[in-house]
Amino acid sequence: MTSLLDVRDLTFHYADRAGAVRAVDNVSFSLASGGSALGLVGESGSGKSSLALAIMRMLPSNVARYDGQIWLDGQELLGLADDRFRQEIRWRKLALVPQGAQNGFNPVLRVGEQIIEPLVVSGTAGKKEARARAQELLAYVGLPTDVYLRYPHELSGGMKQRAMIAAALILEPPLVIMDEPTSALDASVQTQITNLLKRLKKELNLAIIFITHDIALASDVCDDLAVVYAGEIVEIGSAEQVLLHPSHPYTQRLLASIPRLHADTTPQFIPGAPPDLREPPAGCRFHPRCPLAFEPCAQENPPAFELADGQMARCWLFEDGQEER
Amino acid sequence: MSMASALRELLRSGPGFGGAGLMCLLILVALYVLLAFPLDFGESQWSNPVVWVDNPKAVPPTWTNALRREALPLHRVFEGTEPHTVQMARSGPVHSWRFPLTYASSHPPTFLAVTLADVKYAERPPLVLISLKRPDGKQLRIYRHAVRGPREDESGPFQRYAQTPLRVQLSTDEATVTAAQNFLADEFDLRLNGAQIGGRVDRILFGVPAGDSDEAFAPLTGDYEIIVQAALRAEGDSVGKVRFVVGGAVFGLMGTDSLGRDLARGLLFGLPVALFIGVIAAFMSTAIGTTLGIASGYLGGRADITIQRISDIVANVPVLPLLIFMLFIIGPSLWIIIFILVAFGWPGLTIQIRSMVLHMRTNQLIEAIQSLGASRRRVMFRHILPQITPYVLAQLIFAAPSAILAEAGLSFLGLGDPSIPTWGQILETGFRTGGIYVGYWWWIVPPGLCIVLTALTFMLLALGIEPIVNPRLRQPAS
Amino acid sequence: MSLLRPLLVRSLTMVGVFFVVLIMLVLTLGLTGFSDRILAATIGEQLRGERTALAETIRDPDEMEKVLEKRREELEIFYGLSTPWYYRLPRTALRVLTLDLGEARTLRSFDGSNRVFDIVTERVPNSMLLLTTSLIITAAIGIIGGAYLATRQGSWLDRFVSGFAAVSFAVPTWWIGILLILILSIQLRILPSGGMYSTPPPTQPLARFFDLVSHALLPVITLVLVSFGPSIYSIRTITLNIAQEDHVKIARAKGLPESRVRLRHILRVAAPPIVTGLMFGLAGSLSGSILVETVFNWQGMGRLYYDALAGTPDENVIVALTFIFTLMYVVIRIVLEALYVFLDPRVRYTD
Ligand SMILES: Nc1ncnc2c1ncn2[C@@H]1O[C@H](COP(=O)(O)OP(=O)(O)OP(=O)(O)O)[C@@H](O)[C@H]1O
Ligand code: SF4
Ligand SMILES: [Mg+2]
Repeated sequence: MTSLLDVRDLTFHYADRAGAVRAVDNVSFSLASGGSALGLVGESGSGKSSLALAIMRMLPSNVARYDGQIWLDGQELLGLADDRFRQEIRWRKLALVPQGAQNGFNPVLRVGEQIIEPLVVSGTAGKKEARARAQELLAYVGLPTDVYLRYPHELSGGMKQRAMIAAALILEPPLVIMDEPTSALDASVQTQITNLLKRLKKELNLAIIFITHDIALASDVCDDLAVVYAGEIVEIGSAEQVLLHPSHPYTQRLLASIPRLHADTTPQFIPGAPPDLREPPAGCRFHPRCPLAFEPCAQENPPAFELADGQMARCWLFEDGQEER
Repeated sequence: MSMASALRELLRSGPGFGGAGLMCLLILVALYVLLAFPLDFGESQWSNPVVWVDNPKAVPPTWTNALRREALPLHRVFEGTEPHTVQMARSGPVHSWRFPLTYASSHPPTFLAVTLADVKYAERPPLVLISLKRPDGKQLRIYRHAVRGPREDESGPFQRYAQTPLRVQLSTDEATVTAAQNFLADEFDLRLNGAQIGGRVDRILFGVPAGDSDEAFAPLTGDYEIIVQAALRAEGDSVGKVRFVVGGAVFGLMGTDSLGRDLARGLLFGLPVALFIGVIAAFMSTAIGTTLGIASGYLGGRADITIQRISDIVANVPVLPLLIFMLFIIGPSLWIIIFILVAFGWPGLTIQIRSMVLHMRTNQLIEAIQSLGASRRRVMFRHILPQITPYVLAQLIFAAPSAILAEAGLSFLGLGDPSIPTWGQILETGFRTGGIYVGYWWWIVPPGLCIVLTALTFMLLALGIEPIVNPRLRQPAS
Repeated sequence: MSLLRPLLVRSLTMVGVFFVVLIMLVLTLGLTGFSDRILAATIGEQLRGERTALAETIRDPDEMEKVLEKRREELEIFYGLSTPWYYRLPRTALRVLTLDLGEARTLRSFDGSNRVFDIVTERVPNSMLLLTTSLIITAAIGIIGGAYLATRQGSWLDRFVSGFAAVSFAVPTWWIGILLILILSIQLRILPSGGMYSTPPPTQPLARFFDLVSHALLPVITLVLVSFGPSIYSIRTITLNIAQEDHVKIARAKGLPESRVRLRHILRVAAPPIVTGLMFGLAGSLSGSILVETVFNWQGMGRLYYDALAGTPDENVIVALTFIFTLMYVVIRIVLEALYVFLDPRVRYTD
């Protein structure tokens, strides 16, 4: 019970005309402490953003199911009343840099104003103090301090991303969820941002949940990796374990599909398409695409099997604790 | 999507079904009007007072009697050509027409009028006598007319009242007033002077003295008979047509205006006119807007800039003041109205179509066609136009109501085309002659309702079509 | 200063609109020969007056004709009738631009002046009173109702309002005015049917004010009645679209109170498009108020149009009205454009 964040059996479904969209299904993971980062990696549509929204309790109007447990710093969040959640958790303990943070700023207000807003509204600090703090943060994330007075449309995509990160840090939360913080940026800016994230981890002892579809990028920033497939975490472990000893067939395929600069292997595409989350396949959700599928796979969804210390995979292959290689 | 499935989808939506149904109804009525009314209805009938003289002025519709405690008298018109009876008298043949009238209302008729037409005689002019037989058995002669004799330079046979029939408003005719005066004196021993009788002839003829005062009359209901006799002087003389009108205080389906015009007919005729204005104005402005929009988006460059600048300015001109001004200077004409509505109605569409075309120009198919050497015009009209057609169609329907409303507003200011009656003009006369201040609702409410109904039909249709042509709208936003 | 440039660009379009209208006025007057006819009539009238004056000194009819003929030529040169309209009218247009609007034929200002300038300008405040009051009320109802409706998307009220808005587009404003007169002032006798003050007007200022309010009530209600549906509906749609934007989600994620999210992150962002909507609606409101003034005998510019058209038309007044109306429209538009530029920082820097 020392972990900072402990998510247990989190389930989050959208209602759709055809039924439920099972975007997050029985997801469990934990994040040990500050100064570390967990990467959530998965294809587009696998439910990564939904998971972030579920943790932040930013529910759309069409929620079909929302249950499980989220323990943050020893406090259970799902049972918390909306008002308390808003006042005590949001941005104070849990901040979010959303996917497409380019649009995360209100277009008609100055950037600085938006950064200090939570600070001023909660009455924690006066305007002057808040401004000094914000400018300090802007400088920290590598922006000129006059960004404070600019409007969002006057910033480039990379600058907005940094400003958004500064905004997320204003209340000094222990944990920040970053949803695809680099996906719309070009490679060099991307590197700057990942370097910034690493600094944040180290210098501010920040815990980060880093969401991306790019497993290589995730491995650069994160200490732990969770592979998301069709609303489930199919494999989780330390970055080293997952990258060097990928166990779940999906993880293996995912790694094989990455083009490598200094390798003679050609990238392999995963055959088939990701499942429709309205009607995920029965049994193991990966089984229609899995080259290793065998009898139980189509029958029953595998639970998470523990492999080596901390590494887990949802795959029937590991029922007996054996690894096929 | 095929036409048939689009139509099916249209009919499935509420507004689409309502709009399509109403539109069918309107078109049917408009077709009926076009067949049943002369095309020059405005000039030959509506603004020709002769047509309406025998109607009561500014009276409500007949069906309003159903809502009244005491029914108002109905409008009765008796007409005869062949005489009902022919008798021989010493002076010559006497032709008579007898019109039975059951009078049930406690209000007197609003007026009495008689019309004679086509009188022919060989030598000596006939004499026409009109009498009223009352339910109380009393009978009185209310009118006597000697047809004009031969003029000096004239030779027989003589014709009278052929082109312009003779019409006498009995209620105000001096002879009738005198007849009423004598009747009261003889039958009721009541002596009133002309001033006391004037304006109340109908009350006296269709009532009995009430006793309380000399001037009070109680209505007399029951069976009356109007007897028109023509004393002719020779065999072969004739009175071609006799018409006797007992003016009602209610009239027809929609009542009348202050000139006695049958509002139902005016309202009916207004429908094809309104549809015409809406459709023509919408069609032309949509055609111009689409053409310029495609040209602007597709040609680009200087043409694009020019078209955009012009649309920008024209789109921002306040149209109504300019319309008033131009109609005033050039003279009120439906065509000018339509012309100006079109001249200022296209830019909105041009701007929208342009951006759609810009979007499409980058479309690979279009690029491929172009690289195959298709001419610009061919690409524009064969490949781009079909793609935006559904959208244009919806805009076409959207544009119609505003044209209808604009014409109505101008007509209301007195700038309507006088040769073509429209709903706006009917409202204008109602307003200008003070009809609203005396509560002539049947003159004010129906034309407005007609305008609203027609405009609404187009609106509903457009609302029904919009989600079909604009697939983005088909999904409910989450 | 950064505000100035986009404002200038936008105002320029409106100035363009203004000149286009002016040119159209001149062209219509010239091409139809209307201007020539008017001048000829003016000269004829003046000659008739001079003939009676001359009749006392000149007895010989032939000589009289000669003198008058010479005088006519003088007058034609004086009034510019001897030159074609395309030389004359631009000068007239310039004169009109300096607000030298000529004299009215029969219409008079409230205090009896026959200068068109006096007649028209004294009515501007009356028109503005009606127009701005109803515009403000409509906007207020639209913002409150629209913001509320955005939280009730898909409810029966939402559907009702969208239907109501569609119907509003199909209803002539002035007819609603007539209906209200018919019902509220003729049948029920609650409110006065027209005019701006009772006759005689109350002298005491407060009573006078309330008298004005009671007369303004029906026209304002009319104008608001037909425009508030579309106003609510469009603001609802704008609000809904903005409420789905990412920055609103972030505002919520920041733990801001819901009221603050609504005000600063939804409504404030909706302000520029709402102003744009007002701009689009302005021409319609102006037209609506011309007709509504007519219906309610409200002594504004719209009613003046009606008065100038009815009976013996007063062409100078009509020309001047069209001109001033366009001017007024352009001025209000520029104010709205300024408001827009002020509200939306995005236009300040980009072109
Ligand atoms: N409000 C919603 N209503 C219904 N379905 C939704 C909603 N939001 C997301 N979904 C569906 O849920 C699934 C997961 O979406 P999510 O955005 O969480 O995926 P993601 O992994 O973040 O993908 P990406 O990499 O593209 O951001 C998708 O199939 C998506 O269509
Ligand atoms: S459970 Fe079966 S289908 Fe699923 S990943 Fe493992 S082997 Fe493949
Ligand atoms: Mg996502």
